[in-house]
Amino acid sequence: MNHSFVPKAADMLVVGPETIVAAAAMLILLAELMPARISKAAAPWIAALGLLASFIPMTTTGISVRTGFSGMVVTDGFAVLMKAVLAVTGLLTIGFSTHYIKREDLDRAEYYALVLFAISGMMLMASSANLIMVFLSLEILSISLYVLSGFARTQPRSQEASLKYFLLGSFASAFLLYGIALVYGGAGTISLAGIANAIASEGAARNPVLLAGAGLIAVGLGFKVAAVPFQMWTPDVYEGAPSSVTAFMSVGAKAAGFAALARVFLTAFGDIKVDWMPALWAVAALTMIVGNVVAVAQTDIKRMLAYSSIAHAGYILVGLAAANQAGVSALVFYLAAYLFMNLGAWAVVILAGRRGEAGTEIDSYNGLFWRNPGAAAAMGVFMFALAGLPPTGGFMAKFYVFSAALQANMVGLVVIGALTSLVSVYYYARVTVVMFMRDPEPDAAPISTRGLLGVTLAVTAAATIYLGVLPGQLFQLAGLAQIARP
Amino acid sequence: MTGQGVAFAVLAAITIISALLVVTIKNIVRSALFLALSFVGVAGLYILLNAEFLAAVQVLIYVGAITVLMLFAIMLTQQIMSAKISQTTEWFWLALPMALAMLATLIFFFAMRTYPVNPAPDALAVGTTMPLAEALLKPYLLPFELASFILLAALVGAIVIAREEKPGATD
Amino acid sequence: MLSAYFPILVLIVLATGFALGALTLSHVLGPKRPNPAKSEPYECGMRPIGSARQRIPVRFYLIAMLFILFDIEIVFLYPWAIVFDHLGLFGLVEMIVFIAILVVGYVYVWRKGALEWE
Repeated sequence: MNHSFVPKAADMLVVGPETIVAAAAMLILLAELMPARISKAAAPWIAALGLLASFIPMTTTGISVRTGFSGMVVTDGFAVLMKAVLAVTGLLTIGFSTHYIKREDLDRAEYYALVLFAISGMMLMASSANLIMVFLSLEILSISLYVLSGFARTQPRSQEASLKYFLLGSFASAFLLYGIALVYGGAGTISLAGIANAIASEGAARNPVLLAGAGLIAVGLGFKVAAVPFQMWTPDVYEGAPSSVTAFMSVGAKAAGFAALARVFLTAFGDIKVDWMPALWAVAALTMIVGNVVAVAQTDIKRMLAYSSIAHAGYILVGLAAANQAGVSALVFYLAAYLFMNLGAWAVVILAGRRGEAGTEIDSYNGLFWRNPGAAAAMGVFMFALAGLPPTGGFMAKFYVFSAALQANMVGLVVIGALTSLVSVYYYARVTVVMFMRDPEPDAAPISTRGLLGVTLAVTAAATIYLGVLPGQLFQLAGLAQIARP
Repeated sequence: MTGQGVAFAVLAAITIISALLVVTIKNIVRSALFLALSFVGVAGLYILLNAEFLAAVQVLIYVGAITVLMLFAIMLTQQIMSAKISQTTEWFWLALPMALAMLATLIFFFAMRTYPVNPAPDALAVGTTMPLAEALLKPYLLPFELASFILLAALVGAIVIAREEKPGATD
Repeated sequence: MLSAYFPILVLIVLATGFALGALTLSHVLGPKRPNPAKSEPYECGMRPIGSARQRIPVRFYLIAMLFILFDIEIVFLYPWAIVFDHLGLFGLVEMIVFIAILVVGYVYVWRKGALEWE
């Protein structure tokens, strides 16, 4: 750790994307100096430009492995790809947020600033090479998400969502911190490289304190990705938070959590794989089962999508449990595919909803095809993709994740995955049936897909189909997602 | 039993008993005040670990600012100060054994190893504040700057959540 | 080094002892004649009107929150001040970045009117 302590340009390049995103957030806050009309109109533009600009340092570093700030952060293929996924999530979020927040009377510049803060925290989680950085970036993203969940502060459901998320999230952060403290006690250092070295030099004498710490860290991070048995917050928070925030959270927080989990467990605890793989196997299996089975009973589309996102977290955990390079590439591919299909589904939810978060029961989707064929067709694509049916991106994503698991001889997990995917077809298909085969309610309001929301819908639908038909390009890119060994 | 050992036992007892009282007392204001007492206990433990800067910061921030914030938040709530709030739910009899099991597991893990004792902790001639400051500004520079981002995000969050709507404001 | 804290321990013991002792002695030795007028809360001679348990305006909470955030910023200034002379320009720039980030927050809070009291 004897790098020069004076930060050079090279250090800043490692954290370039998150710095640019955070600077854009601060610019939005400074824009408050201008009259409200201007700052509100400028905020989404500043946010979008910031996210686009964050691609510049990503392309500059490419997949080269560089560490910065005395080993606190690292950039490698995995980090750059995750940051790209997060930047795209941010851009699509802005795409459907502008319409939504105007409709719900939540149009404030702080919304975009908080979204950008959350994204910078998420990007930093993908780059963290030290447990304190994992914790701090988790806190930035968590605080921003707690506030965003409660953004519709006049609605009790939103306040409830924010409070529940905050209380349970703080509890999970406490677990994470305790785990970090125990790992420090066991390894003598909190840098991921240092922990890996300490484990390697300990040899066969596995330090139980270190294992306990690893377990607690898994609990803290598992909460964020909604793994069972830490998923209890997900349905209530997803249902109560404003829909655009939920959409953003469901992809972004998961991507960040998985990035940190992958990096911590494959780098620091890589040598003790045999100790944590069975636990991860069990968590993945439980998550897939619980997410899919409980989703069947849901009648509100937001809750259904919440349980569906728990189930998808389970599929991604299968990739992580495989603990090989194929698993990591599959994880990145899955997150990219999931980003498009999930954000697309939520865009349709926003489109079909009415002011005051009304219109979120599945019954209100009756005959959506007759009200707006484009939206219904797009939703059909997303539902098929989420269920994992070809020729969509969702199918290819599950295929890659399951093949990685098979490479690691986890046949049981793949069987559970296949069975639960079958179960999921039921509740996804139900939405499609309701949209295409039923007549619309007589008092149903017309839905227009003009403007940015329509563009977002088109982009996500196109991407979902593209990834299903021509997954090769993204798959090759995902193969470059190597997690740098310290 | 050395003086340090006695001091540790007393401080640990204060901290743990106050913490237990926080989660069992039915009056919320007293619960918050016992939390302040447990913070003081932790500050004492920091002094035993030779981290005097952290002890001072703990008292300044936790006892001084955070307890005050919690009391303000309590006073903001209707009718909560005289209410008798039950601290347990119907899951208590499931949660208690699980928490005790986790405690037993952790203690078992800790007991499996022997820990080398630093032979002369009392001989620390210089305070730890200087090395802490050096560490914060050199190797741990990025977490230091990140802390200010967290504070900024919290600032924006506080305003978003708690800002008063002025009548007639279009903001 | 820890023996340097011994005077503090003596201070704590004496202070607590004095406080507890004074309370206990007055409780034990004093006459007990409770009277309804004596048990009312003291408001400089006036009769108390209404309950003391009213909700305080949310402004207090916001001020306390802002206080904590800027207090933590100040706490970070202390260690920087200790090593400031070895670090030179680099140290100054670091702290300027730290404070600048919070100045953005300050400007935002100011513009949002959270610093207005009434």
